[in-house]
Amino acid sequence: MRFTITLAVAGLSVGSIYALIAVTLNLTFWTTRTVNFGQGAILMLCTMATAVAARSGVPIWLAGTVGILASAFAMVIAERVCVLPASKVGGSMGWAVSTLGFGILIQGIVSKYLGNQAVAFPDVVLDAAQFVDLFGIRIGAQYLVVFAFSLTVIALLDLAIRYTVWGRVVQAVAQDPELTRVFGVPMRRVVVVSFALSGAMAGVAGILTAQIIGTVDPAFGFSLLISGFVASIVGGFGRNWGALLGGLVIGVIEQVVGGYVSTAAGHGVSLAVLMVVLAVRPQGLLGRAEAVKA
Amino acid sequence: MTRIRFLLGAVLCDARFVGLLALAIVAAAPHLSEATRQLISFAVINILIACSINLLTGMAGQISLGQAAFMGIAAYASVLLVKVAGWPFALSVPAGALMAAAAGWILSWPAGRVREFYLAMMTLGFGMIFVEVVREWDSVTGGVMGITGIPSPQLRSLVVFGRTLDTADYLRLLAVIAAAVLFWLSGLNRSRVGRAFFAVHESETAADSIGIDSAMVKRQAYTLSAGLAGLAGALYGHLVSYVGPESFELHRSIEILVMSVIGGLGSLPGQVVGAVALTWLPLQLEVFEDFKFILYGAVLVAIFVVMPRGLAGLLFPPPRMIRPAWRQAAAPPTATTGGSARRVVGRTVLAWTGLRRSFGGLTAVADFSCELAAGEVLGLIGPNGSGKSTTINVLSGLYPPSSGRIELAGADVSGLPPHVVARRGMVRTFQDPRLVGRFTVLENVLLGAHVHARYGALEAGFGIGRIRRDEPAAIARAAGVLTAMGLDDVADRVLETLPYGYRRLVEVARALMVEPDVLLLDEPAAGLSEGEIGRLERAVLDLRAAGVAVLIVDHHMDFLARVVDRVVVLDGGREIFRGAIGAMRDDPKVAECYLGRMETTDARG
Amino acid sequence: MSMGTRRDLFRGLAGIGAAALLARGGRAVAQDSSVIRLGLTTALTGPYNEFGEGNKRGFDLAIEQWNAKGGIDGRKIEIVTALDDQMVPDRAAQNMRRLLDDPSLTAILGPAGSGATMAVIDMVTASGRPYVNALAQATAATYPQTFGKAPRRNVFTFGIISNVEAEVLGTYVAKTFKSIAVMHESTSYGVSGRDTLLGVVKQHRPDVKIAVEAYNQRATDVTAQLVRLQQSDAEAFLVIGLGTDLVNIRRSMARLGLKQPLVTSAGGLSLPYFEGAGDAAVGTVAPMVGVLVEDEPRPEVTRFVEAYKARFGTDRYWGPDPQRPQIQMSLIVIPAYDGANLLLEGIRRAKSTEPAAIIAALEGIRDYPGVNTIYNFSADRHHGIGTESLAMLRVVKKGEKLGLEVLKG
Repeated sequence: MRFTITLAVAGLSVGSIYALIAVTLNLTFWTTRTVNFGQGAILMLCTMATAVAARSGVPIWLAGTVGILASAFAMVIAERVCVLPASKVGGSMGWAVSTLGFGILIQGIVSKYLGNQAVAFPDVVLDAAQFVDLFGIRIGAQYLVVFAFSLTVIALLDLAIRYTVWGRVVQAVAQDPELTRVFGVPMRRVVVVSFALSGAMAGVAGILTAQIIGTVDPAFGFSLLISGFVASIVGGFGRNWGALLGGLVIGVIEQVVGGYVSTAAGHGVSLAVLMVVLAVRPQGLLGRAEAVKA
Repeated sequence: MTRIRFLLGAVLCDARFVGLLALAIVAAAPHLSEATRQLISFAVINILIACSINLLTGMAGQISLGQAAFMGIAAYASVLLVKVAGWPFALSVPAGALMAAAAGWILSWPAGRVREFYLAMMTLGFGMIFVEVVREWDSVTGGVMGITGIPSPQLRSLVVFGRTLDTADYLRLLAVIAAAVLFWLSGLNRSRVGRAFFAVHESETAADSIGIDSAMVKRQAYTLSAGLAGLAGALYGHLVSYVGPESFELHRSIEILVMSVIGGLGSLPGQVVGAVALTWLPLQLEVFEDFKFILYGAVLVAIFVVMPRGLAGLLFPPPRMIRPAWRQAAAPPTATTGGSARRVVGRTVLAWTGLRRSFGGLTAVADFSCELAAGEVLGLIGPNGSGKSTTINVLSGLYPPSSGRIELAGADVSGLPPHVVARRGMVRTFQDPRLVGRFTVLENVLLGAHVHARYGALEAGFGIGRIRRDEPAAIARAAGVLTAMGLDDVADRVLETLPYGYRRLVEVARALMVEPDVLLLDEPAAGLSEGEIGRLERAVLDLRAAGVAVLIVDHHMDFLARVVDRVVVLDGGREIFRGAIGAMRDDPKVAECYLGRMETTDARG
Repeated sequence: MSMGTRRDLFRGLAGIGAAALLARGGRAVAQDSSVIRLGLTTALTGPYNEFGEGNKRGFDLAIEQWNAKGGIDGRKIEIVTALDDQMVPDRAAQNMRRLLDDPSLTAILGPAGSGATMAVIDMVTASGRPYVNALAQATAATYPQTFGKAPRRNVFTFGIISNVEAEVLGTYVAKTFKSIAVMHESTSYGVSGRDTLLGVVKQHRPDVKIAVEAYNQRATDVTAQLVRLQQSDAEAFLVIGLGTDLVNIRRSMARLGLKQPLVTSAGGLSLPYFEGAGDAAVGTVAPMVGVLVEDEPRPEVTRFVEAYKARFGTDRYWGPDPQRPQIQMSLIVIPAYDGANLLLEGIRRAKSTEPAAIIAALEGIRDYPGVNTIYNFSADRHHGIGTESLAMLRVVKKGEKLGLEVLKG
């Protein structure tokens, strides 16, 4: 029992980060029907920038803000140079390839100019040794903080989607992409805000991950992005609650398979889940099949 | 400049040049230094890999982020067959390639169901799972340590037919294989197989509508592409004498994609240029390695905007999809829309009863029954949203009917997939013409002949067997249809350079190439000039005379009045009138439901 | 065939001919050189350039010192070709082909990682050219069958090979604990390290209880592994992996309240681990060449440290403390420095650049004081650092900072 709960807590905590990343993918998908294949580099950028700034003596809250702004800005650039021009090329090849390239570009620049060695990431809230005693089971306090924080961010986004003008436009466009034309020029602003938010939230996800693993390097982020993809596809692409469900499910499955079957199987299980879901139910657990367009 | 480009293209795309280049390498191999041999060997292997992803991604439009896994499957298979099972190299390499092809075929089943970024994710996942399996299955693959001591020309330990191969021999072997593959591909691309890849790339729905089984075409693309990548992978494994999981990870798949994209997706000589450039550059520019990721990233970001057709777009004229030899072999065209004698005018060829189609709670077509006789032209009209297009979509198999029965020439076709319906003799066009923009008019029209040809990939590639008869015959027939439609003067114009009206006519011409018994035209006259409408009219009347049944959905009343035998009017998915078009105008129900809304309808459509 | 075709064909053929000529020309130039020419391929850029660049600094410093003394019999020494492989096996193989293809190169300095080294080592062995392996730990790079059997004739290793590290680590573990929990990264380094280590431990203590788990480099979470290992009630955790992953493991242990001592491979002495794990790193035990933490270092060590600081300053290999270089120097820079020194000493003694003569001279080296250790080679022994040169070090708190002490034992 203790064994299972320990695994589940770690799984839920890491899974909530996957969910957060999946939600950042949704943000760009709703407004432009594109997904940033370089999102891993975006969250690496924020985390690396924060760590490097913090190491050179900048207070952590300021360093974090700088990092989050950097990744938000990078996403705005990505929209401008990858997504917007590619929409004129048509098909998915354009933006898929170009956002993939954008990620590689950022990773290249960061490792060239910030160095490609791992940098220690400071503890923002609690340190790793602090824990909570839950019915005699020791639970790392950082896991709980990460979990709570991820969920709060997702919930805040959901509120913003429901109750702001921006959110309503996003919702409308998500349901009927044809509306982009109706909204015209203000649509650009909505898109840019969505991308910036996506970048900022990816940055938060990166910082939360760094709380768990303790270091960050330029290759950081890619495997997280894959897990984010898996989470969003399992839950149903474009659905926030699907992303949350998918993230938590994947996080827990990884840990439980790792704990009970073998840790080697734990590595591959999320990929296997991805392939099966794509093959059997591409719309995901909570998604509806899109109607075929004639 | 254009002249130079044309010349360069003509030379580099010429099979004789490729052959001579291969011969030159064969002759020069022993005189080259080891490093030069190795450089050329890597370049040749990269050419094969670039060609493999070009087939799948460039031509068939299926993005692949896991191409390196196909290489890896074949490399491991071939190496293990030699090392463990003691197979000869001459058998293990083809066996490895076949195993990769089999993997491609298996992957094509789930991959064929998804597209766009779901497909990208699936191929990415496939590539990563392959690496994961290799790492964990260490009793066979050597795990993360990989396999060393592979018989290799580098170590003079590779023996083929009793002869020990050195690096010069191996380079010769590679050059010959690559020349053969390029020759085969250049034939394949310019055949119904290659054209079908592009058709599926452009629009699966449109491909299906003319009888091309897009799912099958995609499976074929995956299988051939994987086999080709496998061939390259197996040859690579023996060249470097070491295989390990790192060699087939994502970065390799991305490198392959970069090569192909830089060379120019869809262009065969472009692949050669891209592969050679990316093999040669890193060795020449020390600084290249330092900025490799920045450079790769920048290339991927910008290429589709700055240079959508890659280096090939700068260096070569756009690839053409018909081999000149077949064109010369084609008989002179006789103008015909493709009527055939076996149709008996007046006999019912298409009948549907109780047809219903609803989407969620919305019923688009309700209890609609009608029939069409050979040599009859039926107009289907009604305001927007009255269910006309849905009727065509259901008849052609795009949507299965919610209930009801469709009989084509006496056989039930309801619920059959669109390409089967098309092959049974019912072909449709679309409101928005779905053609291949980069094809010429003639190439587009030839797509309609796909179903009538029987030759396969092997015959197509080497220009042997049935293609020698089928292809010239199809070209002659296509030229005939174009003449009949008055399009013969634009036959060699690239479609996307033509005005909109032409595209509609070309789409009709393409549908005619299928030789349908029933033709469903979805707003064929929309956007056409009066002259173009005249051509369309003549084509429809020709078809009627030839005994083809035609269903036309259109708003252009004058056009309809000149061609239809009778009309059916739909409103809200229900039939409200059936009879002569003259009588329709006096019908009070039609006047109330349809003509009253004419203005808004016209304004929108 | 048109005129254009023919002309282009001509040009193509001419190009190939020219390439052949150039390649031969390269050979001709090589014959009459007054320079001893060396070739190098390593990770000069890319994600692992920390290792390659560190190696290169070691090589460069040694060569500069020899040249300052007038070279070998008046001949200067030069790395004439330095290629970048980014530790990618394919690239390393291509580079090695280029190097071996140049007969003017007297010796080859090899890649900085096991994967890349394994990809080239057969080729190198077949060539017979003297080869310095400064970093690759995989035992098979030096001893193709098993440790103790015949070495590759021309390969000399200056890094800490897996078997030697495992012997020291394993002996310590077997002496100290009755049951252990092993975690290793799923790379060739981790897997071969695990196998040799467990072999040693069982040899010394057949009844030892062992539980093993693997993790991927840069794993996001290692809770599953730790929780599984926790069930084995081991007295100590033993981790074979990089410093960055050790941070994650150490932090996860803290979260789970695992109080067992942590014993690690050399990664436990790296800067990222110290920085990332902070005070949690205290108590970690790892094997390493101890010369840089000894209170009374040999003169060779002092001279090297001073020379390095004068040449490169307090760079990233030196580390944060301007007074004292970090211990990682013994892992990355010094093996290259010692390797180049011994190679050149071999060439000097051989009075020849013939491979066989150099190899024979190197195999004749006895009691040669290098920085990391006193070197002894023979026909059967091609690795420099033996078990006697390694010590078990423990991370301790020295005032505000983390420091190291040698476990006596």
